[in-house]
Amino acid sequence: MTTLHVLSHSPFSDTRLSSCLRVLGTDDALLLTGDAVYALQPQSSPLKALEEKSATLKLFVLEEDLLARHIDCPQWATAVDYPAFVELSIHYDKVNSWL
Amino acid sequence: MAKSLLIISRQAPWSGPGAKEALDLVLAGGAFDLPIALMFMDDGVFQLVPGQNAAALQQKNLQANLQALSMFGVDDVFACGHSLAERGISPAHLAVDDVHALSTDEVRALIDRFDQVITL
Repeated sequence: MTTLHVLSHSPFSDTRLSSCLRVLGTDDALLLTGDAVYALQPQSSPLKALEEKSATLKLFVLEEDLLARHIDCPQWATAVDYPAFVELSIHYDKVNSWL
Repeated sequence: MAKSLLIISRQAPWSGPGAKEALDLVLAGGAFDLPIALMFMDDGVFQLVPGQNAAALQQKNLQANLQALSMFGVDDVFACGHSLAERGISPAHLAVDDVHALSTDEVRALIDRFDQVITL
């Protein structure tokens, strides 16, 4: 069973991202939305934690949230729009929203 | 003499009304000539990042309100240097002019200096 993990909280103000990275399965993927896209803030420890896993991590990021916050999508991640978000939700067996 | 008031803004700009409400509070205080200051801390410092695009989320541009601070007589605007550094944000490239980045000791002294403090 594969899982799409969806995060929407800032990694600087809580521990969802670090917990999620710890329990992420090899075939799982991670989608950053809302304030969770701050994890891609250059020269920050959340970005470093993601980069360390970048060789194997399937990382998707909601494009409009990147735009709003003026953050660039790294080459090893994939920026997606809402229709692609829906497709991802269907592609993976289940969606785990870290509310 | 009115009591001096320090507002500490800790919310990131696009996730809820917190950031705008803190700013509205400061602007209202400025309009009434209260001795008021604003400090950005934790995720609140993301409000100061240049090049943000509110239209991408169909929201109003918070940065226009930030530019109004000096017009409303609010000249004491600070940012927590620790929070900036943690997020890789350079104090030299902020969307608002004349924001003073403070060390932790200076933040402590700032809070001490004001009669009242509200953290949002």
